Amino acid sequence: MADGYKPGTATVRPAPTAPLLQVESLHKRYPVSGRRGSFLHAVDDVSLTIAAGESVGLVGESGCGKSTLSRLLARLHDASGGRIVFDGTDLAALPAQGFARHPQRAAIQMVFQDAGDSLNPRFTAREAIAEPLQLLAGLTGVALQQRVDEVATEVGLPLALLSRYGHQLSGGQKARVGIARALAVRPRLLILDEPTAALDVSVQAVVLQLLARLRAEHGLAYLFVSHDLNVVRLLTDRVLVMYLGRLVEAGPSEAVFRQPRHPYTQALVSAIPGQGPRIRLQGEVSSPIDPPAHACRFASRCPRAEDRCQREMPLLQAVGPAHQAACHFVASC
Amino acid sequence: MTATVQPPLLDVRDFGLEFRTRSGTVRALEAVNLRLHKGEIVGLVGESGSGKSVLSYALLGISDRAARVTGGQALFGGLDLLQADEATLADLRGREVSMIFQSPRTALNPIRTVGAQIEDVLRRHAAARGQALGERLQQVAVQALREVAIADPERRARAYPFELSGGMCQRVMIALALACRPLMLIADEPTTGLDVTTQAAVMDLLTTLARERQMATLFITHDLALAADHCDRLVVMHAGHVVETAPTARLFAAPRHPYTAQLMGSTPSATTRLAELRSVPGNLPDLRRSDLPACRFAERCERADERCRRERPPLDTLHEHAVACWHPLVASAKPTPGEAVHG
Repeated sequence: MADGYKPGTATVRPAPTAPLLQVESLHKRYPVSGRRGSFLHAVDDVSLTIAAGESVGLVGESGCGKSTLSRLLARLHDASGGRIVFDGTDLAALPAQGFARHPQRAAIQMVFQDAGDSLNPRFTAREAIAEPLQLLAGLTGVALQQRVDEVATEVGLPLALLSRYGHQLSGGQKARVGIARALAVRPRLLILDEPTAALDVSVQAVVLQLLARLRAEHGLAYLFVSHDLNVVRLLTDRVLVMYLGRLVEAGPSEAVFRQPRHPYTQALVSAIPGQGPRIRLQGEVSSPIDPPAHACRFASRCPRAEDRCQREMPLLQAVGPAHQAACHFVASC
Repeated sequence: MTATVQPPLLDVRDFGLEFRTRSGTVRALEAVNLRLHKGEIVGLVGESGSGKSVLSYALLGISDRAARVTGGQALFGGLDLLQADEATLADLRGREVSMIFQSPRTALNPIRTVGAQIEDVLRRHAAARGQALGERLQQVAVQALREVAIADPERRARAYPFELSGGMCQRVMIALALACRPLMLIADEPTTGLDVTTQAAVMDLLTTLARERQMATLFITHDLALAADHCDRLVVMHAGHVVETAPTARLFAAPRHPYTAQLMGSTPSATTRLAELRSVPGNLPDLRRSDLPACRFAERCERADERCRRERPPLDTLHEHAVACWHPLVASAKPTPGEAVHG
């Protein structure tokens, strides 16, 4: 698809409608220890776009590469190949280490899974929120404290709690600190990795509503990574489904959940508790280490698999308005 | 079902438990009533910190050393689990009552093969019954893995936990728990941390085996939708109290305790919109407080009055749909399935 592109060489001219983030043919391979020449294909030829202000969900089983992909986009890891064009700059061409001081660092922020674990236990809530402001915005003194107060108020964290340490805060309050920390430096894209997975349903609702409000108020774009499909449906415009490193379906959330087209998405959606009969997947997840280049990754578990699936890798094809699926049998799915 | 006319397999009555800690006494469970019949799958639901796991640990006699029983009984086939000595309980655990823990990877021994760990359980309980399985031991262990639908069980028996996926480890935990064909199974969040597809497969396996073997199953979860899919009856806990219990369909059709209703309102379903989601106001009260209101939900409840703070609402255990509330929601807010709809 992206043949002919060489990372960092092409001049990128953002068109008026250019997406905020454009990912082209992204790869991440990890060498396998003790097996020379063997690679684990964590992210395999992934292309996607996120428009400014758009909320995109990323779903799939653990091990499918969704966390690796989000860390590549946040530039915490270096990609093995492909381009990550953010606001006209190819970020994949910059080494992850140098990215910490790149002006775009503040523009892409990440909210981590368990706010309790991702906050420095020796930092108060105020220090945790102030840290990115000091490092990325160079704020000090009164200006720094003012911005911390401002962003804490915005996420609904009472200022009286700012002097507390992580262990003195409830789960919902810690989640708010994590969000405030990411929001403080005025990002344009927020990558949310299972932001409510560690919360009880009783507090999950307010955090989800907070995220929806912040997005509307700031025109933020979200990449929302989660395995809770009901939550993804609530918070996203579009959803991407990953299986063993590859995108197998992409489309408007409403369409994907109502009428999933890839057999894997169909199984995934049918497994959401609280609804009708389930599609039971047989067989084992195939290994992500040196996968056959010309076979569908899902063939070993697919109820529809035929010989062709072992010989020919299905590519994403249009199945509806802005809706794509990678399966040979989408026409009859 | 016929289950309700038989005496319950497990009958917990007025059970109270507290923990003595340096920062005060935590009154973790108070006047807990719970019944479990043969072949019945009961879901125990509530926020984290509501006492679900504390209750199940106490039933197995594996509570923390700071725990102290303050009253009540837990009768299991005539034996009071709360009074039984350690030797009796040790014989019971794994053989008649088994538990599946939350994170299979940490619950399994990392440096022994999974087959060897199943053999340990079998050997321990065979010896207690004066039997020697001898050479059959390995065979029985492999059979236990086969019964939880693990492909190629002979090979997998020789695997270490780190060589297996999360879903596979949880199958091994189930095999381990069911190897001695227990009468009662306690499953504490058995699918937390698993993917939806794996979760569905593990829950299907668990409930199929429970039905086949007529096992009484207590399924602890914070996922209401999951509990609704798999349980005959639900028990809702809040801050160490059982606040409501009813057959699953009835509870969902017409919850009577305000907490149950709010918990349901906060759970996203396939059709809710974001604006419709409600959170439960406030937090669980600190159970070390000396001024805890008698109804521990009173401070989070808009229906609460002076009586709620003064007098603990009892759970009327004679009713199939029992609620511990002085001001319950109207029973027929929505018609329950199967009942005639008038007008």
